[in-house]
Amino acid sequence: MDRQEQIEFLLDHYENPRQKQPMSGEGVVAAEGGNPDCGDVIKIYLKVDGDGKTTVTFEGEGCTISQASASYLSEFATGKTLDELARLDYNDLIDALGREIVTQRTRCATLSLETLHAAIRKRARLL
Amino acid sequence: MRVKSQLRIGRGNGILPDRFALFRKVDMSQSAPPSTSVLDVRAIRAEFPILERQVHGKKLVFLDSAASSQRPRQVIDAMDEYYRHSHSNVHRGVHALSEEATDLYEAARKKVMRFIGAKSSREIIWTRNATEAINLVAYSWGRTNVDQGDEIIATEMEHHSNLVPWQLLAKERGAKLRFIHVANGGVLKLDELGSLLTRRTKLVAVSHMSNVLGTINPVREIAERAHSVGALCLVDGAQSVPHMPVNVQELGCDFMVFSGHKMCGPTGIGVLWGRRDLLESMPPFLAGGDMIRRVTLEGAEWNDLPYKFEAGTPAIAEAIGLGVAVDYLSGLGMSAVRAHEIETVAYALERLAEVPGLRLLGPTDPEQRGGLTTFTLDGIHPHDLATILDSEGIAVRAGHHCAMPLHLKLGLPATTRASFYIYTLLEEIDALVEGLYRAKQIMTRK
Repeated sequence: MDRQEQIEFLLDHYENPRQKQPMSGEGVVAAEGGNPDCGDVIKIYLKVDGDGKTTVTFEGEGCTISQASASYLSEFATGKTLDELARLDYNDLIDALGREIVTQRTRCATLSLETLHAAIRKRARLL
Repeated sequence: MRVKSQLRIGRGNGILPDRFALFRKVDMSQSAPPSTSVLDVRAIRAEFPILERQVHGKKLVFLDSAASSQRPRQVIDAMDEYYRHSHSNVHRGVHALSEEATDLYEAARKKVMRFIGAKSSREIIWTRNATEAINLVAYSWGRTNVDQGDEIIATEMEHHSNLVPWQLLAKERGAKLRFIHVANGGVLKLDELGSLLTRRTKLVAVSHMSNVLGTINPVREIAERAHSVGALCLVDGAQSVPHMPVNVQELGCDFMVFSGHKMCGPTGIGVLWGRRDLLESMPPFLAGGDMIRRVTLEGAEWNDLPYKFEAGTPAIAEAIGLGVAVDYLSGLGMSAVRAHEIETVAYALERLAEVPGLRLLGPTDPEQRGGLTTFTLDGIHPHDLATILDSEGIAVRAGHHCAMPLHLKLGLPATTRASFYIYTLLEEIDALVEGLYRAKQIMTRK
């Protein structure tokens, strides 16, 4: 992916976000994450079905990288198991988003994963 | 988590339309004159080696001097020369190198003294930066002069370095911290001073020039009013001393702080100026070598000013470097520096006003503000704006600029700041504006 393609990729997720809707009801856990430095806010909704497959959606506001990351991650995560999600690594996410572009703003890029992990831990505590 | 299969998303065949063609053919006949009328900016730029740099294959357009300025080769060379020829620890060596080092070091102190109109070099205390200087006052003066029920006044526009030390002091001593608020145009609501100042007020801490709004505060008037109730006045000169003539006698303040790296000097060196009688009465800040006259196992006698407040081996090369920076700026003349910045910021205000959706913070009169412009651009997050500008080689700063309370008050999570200095060309402002249009193109295409 060259630089311009990386930018296009992020902008697409920012302008046409996937999985951007709240979830409610039985078994849904929500966690909030935010970057007080710059006002990025992410809320991750997590649900696990009978087969152990997750659905992840989000809501949020903020810079392109933080929101694109949440869209990409929510889409990627949906259909995976909790275990796979718990093992997701920040560096992998940064690489997937395009390291060259997000390198100066890794906090923005990883906010979604941080929040997803918080949701997983919260779920473990509640259940 | 490989995504290569997800690359071609949304935009047809993935080959980008050449939306930037619009900006490639720039009509040079419309450009501004390269330099303001006051300083020979091209000649100045030739002395700043870093300005030759390329960033992402583009010319560097450095608009972040308010965060830290660049250094002329004279400063770099002087420090290099010092380390190559004269370095030794200062102050008590009898040998030649130590004498040379001491002479250079103390000469630098005198240069700073003259630069700000201090009466004596004993009033010039070297610190690491303006932040440390403020902490020195809070620690040394504050803890012995501020008591339960006393009051400290600061403003809503302060940088965290001129806010948090007072918060800590107030909490520790049971004192109250009160604030002068900022009005819509970015100026202080000075009429609040009447009710804020009481006989319990011990200190008014105020910035001379806001690093976000650019507002130049009427420090002289504020100091006078502080004195009228028996309070002291500390001025944060981090943005003013590098950019305009500052004379501490004229301002009438009691303490002034500033940082070397914002005024063409090295990092790691800053200055606290304090009125001599105040500094004499204050206990030391950091303790150890150099700040003592005599030491036994049981105790110690403090050294004279300024050394009482300079513990341990100082940043010798850095102080010397700052002295050379002072020489450099004095050579240009601070009135000329200020005039250049007024012209530059006037041009910037004019050009920025053309950009739809751009909201500028702070006073609109160039004479009332320093050479920085902080703004928001509708629909584009400052981080994204800064990233896009960076890809054009333009360095600006995005965030809250260490002034979160101000941003909370303005209801803005973050802003973008472009700041100017002696080496800023007007065509760099043109480049900034072009970059802003490009960002709008990229971010608002549908």
